[in-house]
Amino acid sequence: MNKKFLSTLLCTTMVASSLFGCGTNTASNKASAKDKKEEPVVTSFGDKKGTKLELWTFVGQHADFYGKMVEKWNEKNPDRTINMKTTTYPFSDMHTKLTMTLQSKKGAPDICDVEAGQYPNVVKGQDEWLYPLDEAIKPYKDTMVESRLDMYKGQNGKQYGAPFHIGATVMYYNMEQLEKYGITQADVDSVKTWDDYEKLGKRYVEARGEKGKFFTSVDTAGTDWLTIAMAEYGEDWTGGNKKNAKPNVKLKSVNKMLEYQQKLLKEKVAQVSTDGQVDTDGGIADIGNNTIVSFPKALWFMSRFKDKLGADSGKDQTGKWYIAKCPVFEEGQKCSVGIGGTGTVVTKQSKAKKLAADFICFAKMSEDGEKMIWNDLGFDVCNTALWDECNTDQDNFYNKYFRNKPYEVLKQIKDDIGKVSITKNTPAINDQINSTTLNDVLEKGKNVKEALEEAQSTIESDSE
Amino acid sequence: MVEHASSYSKDGEDKMKKDNIFKRFLYSQKTAPYVFVLPFLLSFCVFWIYPFSSTIVMSFQDIQPMGSKWIGLGNYKKLLADKVFLQAVGNSVMYMLLTLVLLIPFPLLFASLLDSRLVKAKGIWKALLYIPSLTSVVISGTLFRMMFSERDGSQFNLILNFFGHDKIQWLKMYPTAYFALLLIACWRWTGVNMLYFLSGLKSIDTGLYESAEIDGATGWQKFIYVTIPMLRPTLIYVLTISIYAGLAMFLESFMLWGNGSPYNIGTTIVGYLYRRGIEKNQMGYASAVGLVLLIIALVINMIQLILSGTFKKEES
Amino acid sequence: MDNTMTKIKPNKSSKIGGKTRSILTVLSTGFFAILSILVAMPLVIGFTASMRPGSEMMAQGLHLNLNFKEWMLDNYVYLLSGNEDSIKFFNWFKNSLFLTLISVIGTLILCYFIAYGLSMYDFKLKNTLFFIVIATMMVPFEILMLPLYQEIINFGLIDTTWGVVLPGLCGASTIFFFKQYMSSLPKELLDAGRIDGATEYGICLRIMLPITKPAFAAMAILTSMGSWNNLLWPMLIYKDASKFTLPIGLNTLLTPYGNNYDVLIAGSMFSLIPVFIIFIIFQKYFVEGMTAGAVKG
Repeated sequence: MNKKFLSTLLCTTMVASSLFGCGTNTASNKASAKDKKEEPVVTSFGDKKGTKLELWTFVGQHADFYGKMVEKWNEKNPDRTINMKTTTYPFSDMHTKLTMTLQSKKGAPDICDVEAGQYPNVVKGQDEWLYPLDEAIKPYKDTMVESRLDMYKGQNGKQYGAPFHIGATVMYYNMEQLEKYGITQADVDSVKTWDDYEKLGKRYVEARGEKGKFFTSVDTAGTDWLTIAMAEYGEDWTGGNKKNAKPNVKLKSVNKMLEYQQKLLKEKVAQVSTDGQVDTDGGIADIGNNTIVSFPKALWFMSRFKDKLGADSGKDQTGKWYIAKCPVFEEGQKCSVGIGGTGTVVTKQSKAKKLAADFICFAKMSEDGEKMIWNDLGFDVCNTALWDECNTDQDNFYNKYFRNKPYEVLKQIKDDIGKVSITKNTPAINDQINSTTLNDVLEKGKNVKEALEEAQSTIESDSE
Repeated sequence: MVEHASSYSKDGEDKMKKDNIFKRFLYSQKTAPYVFVLPFLLSFCVFWIYPFSSTIVMSFQDIQPMGSKWIGLGNYKKLLADKVFLQAVGNSVMYMLLTLVLLIPFPLLFASLLDSRLVKAKGIWKALLYIPSLTSVVISGTLFRMMFSERDGSQFNLILNFFGHDKIQWLKMYPTAYFALLLIACWRWTGVNMLYFLSGLKSIDTGLYESAEIDGATGWQKFIYVTIPMLRPTLIYVLTISIYAGLAMFLESFMLWGNGSPYNIGTTIVGYLYRRGIEKNQMGYASAVGLVLLIIALVINMIQLILSGTFKKEES
Repeated sequence: MDNTMTKIKPNKSSKIGGKTRSILTVLSTGFFAILSILVAMPLVIGFTASMRPGSEMMAQGLHLNLNFKEWMLDNYVYLLSGNEDSIKFFNWFKNSLFLTLISVIGTLILCYFIAYGLSMYDFKLKNTLFFIVIATMMVPFEILMLPLYQEIINFGLIDTTWGVVLPGLCGASTIFFFKQYMSSLPKELLDAGRIDGATEYGICLRIMLPITKPAFAAMAILTSMGSWNNLLWPMLIYKDASKFTLPIGLNTLLTPYGNNYDVLIAGSMFSLIPVFIIFIIFQKYFVEGMTAGAVKG
């Protein structure tokens, strides 16, 4: 029996090794021969003889984008060609791996995408971990949206991250649905303040009169509404990107917005977002099913329409939606704020820092790059010099999908895009607000002042 | 690895001719145990001592990119005042106790039943009960999150509808959230624990059952007086493992909430460690959390192991 | 030794009447049938979901769709069609299988020897070592990760399978299980072997190994479970996307841009097949196990 057992083990090993060859056994030299067969998996772009650069990202589409940009770069810079290897990791784990390699001072890639929420963890290393992009950014700097660049600066004022987009918030309206109940585009355009928005919502909900259908939805697992409010009042709960900044959530704007949301819920104008916020499976299903017909979100949410509510989804929304400015509490306030995003960094461990930095700024700020960002990824690009061109592009998916052109709205709000920093205080604030405060206020109807008071004390004890 | 084993004897043969003393040394009953445990000693020295001691050092430090600051007991002091941490400890202990109640007696019973001749088609049931644990966590997480979704059509809301109850937000309240957690735990681990017991049952000398039968024992008496005592080593193993696994639970919670649950109802010690160490990159603080977990788990388990006599020297 | 040797309660039927016995058989078999159906339910739902487009799952959540007419194999066809996604998927799959095999075989053999040493002999360091085994079992991996990662880099094992497998080979819980299992085996076998002139290692391999098989089977399944689901550590060590395993790969399908349910669900269902086969192979060893004859002999 002993022999039989061993032979089973041996057989499985043999079957396994004959199946797999030695390809996966990295200790052997045969690996390289096998790798060639698996070309589609190892994504390497550009000139084989060029300088080797390694890039990590957490989104497959970004990897494809960089691949195309490498080709363009090599065309334009025959003397500084690049051979780029991009690797797509799972979202949160890529950040874990990046901070670990930075901390270990070994093993980091040349270039890495960092999601905005994770950015404070990475930028705190400043010159110790990262290579500043200030030099490389110069050719494009004049026409870039300043507030967005600021998001990715270190406390020392140096630029460490390059943005993909502004992430400017706007209000999305399902015009087709609204028209069914007698609300016209002019009505929507006349919404200036949150009070107007509430009135419009009431009008719609009353006209529709259907249980379980709402005008909008408020988030219990996302801070977008609150961020918009802060930008309107020019407040910032992180205390700004300064060394000894103290977090403060007991702000007029936050208070006002939460009370406003409670009112929307009470009047049944709003529901609590399914799955906590709109950018989830449940939230998007609500959009597709007309459960909600309006919501504030960043312009990059357009890509969700393309990917999840496009022609093959069975819930096609083409030609139905209209994009407008977000309302404000008091007229004259800023009406938008950049949210979300990806800051791409060059690490100090790179052997070709300058090349990597130049390439990243080329990919994310030059005309070629910005056009591709708009057409392939559907983002509101940061380089204002290209907005007109983006707007007139007839073939662009988004220009055809929505009732109006996204960049028209962007041009209107150009000077009204505020800023709320993402700093080392942000994770603690988000933890508390998302896990407790929003649920208390929106699900349980708790008094806003009390809830914020409680949040403040928790956050303070957390960020000591 | 198989070659490895046979190389022992081959080497031995070569040396037998050359060096009788060495052979006698290597083959002596005194040396043999050390040869057997050598791989563990090596692995312990190489992969444990350094990481573990740097973890201890880190727990007294504030880890920063520009160099680490020594802060003495700062992390531990902060820990004791950290409400979320204390809540996480509460959650983990609660979960551990509940899983002990659910995941030891029932799998034991199932295993004994499966081992008896009463059940037909055993292979199928074993395989089906075991499948959940080999299902990738990514997929079982997605499935359970959707089944417990707050949406109308989620499976558990459909069940509620069937009984005439409105849909509820399963994952936002303590009792239902714990129900979901325990359900996943039972789903994933019943088969595994059953398998431990099944293999333990195989080590019982069947002669014991025969002699019990001659003495006129009923099935239940055999279970109490033969099976349970003979299964003690396996029971102790399952108990020890379950205590730690319960205290260190993270995956099940991650499957449902992705480490950000409302009111922290799903935050466990390891989940909190993960949030601090990995999401917020505070390795010093996270190390302190981990060491506290080690101490809690070790104390409980050492008491249990000493009481059950596992550390006693066996008399032959 | 015959596999089908009679073992437990040979004359039970003589005590309980034939009728009661058959009722009990039906009851307990029925119980396991129901239990198994309940346990399999989530996967059945997942399977029916894999027969529908991924967009439906996004829009409606999970649905148990038993209307066979609406089923379609599109997701599976897509998965097997040799396109970029399917090449990727099978590469992850292959890597996972390979990694799992290596770690299972390595872990079982090493841990068996270690546990044998710990349970069959009395020696000075025994209790200390056993304590260390228990203690190492209770340190959460997440806090050891950073220093261990640095160590692996310094050893030059980054991006290698060795780097992934080596630190986990002497798995404390596996050692512990083997030790507990062996402590219930009769030690007289050792002395009998010694009298017969077998060496210490010969006893370990020829006498004890065969009767430890049920433990091997249990641990094979447990270790493969750990290795099959291991996400974080392989992801930290591997840098080359062609070496990624199934958990890493499947996780890349869940992105902020939307989840690729088509490949995710179909792929996951598909990946259960080899796992099932491995189980069927090893579960055979539970049926054998130790027989009365082995002890007495």
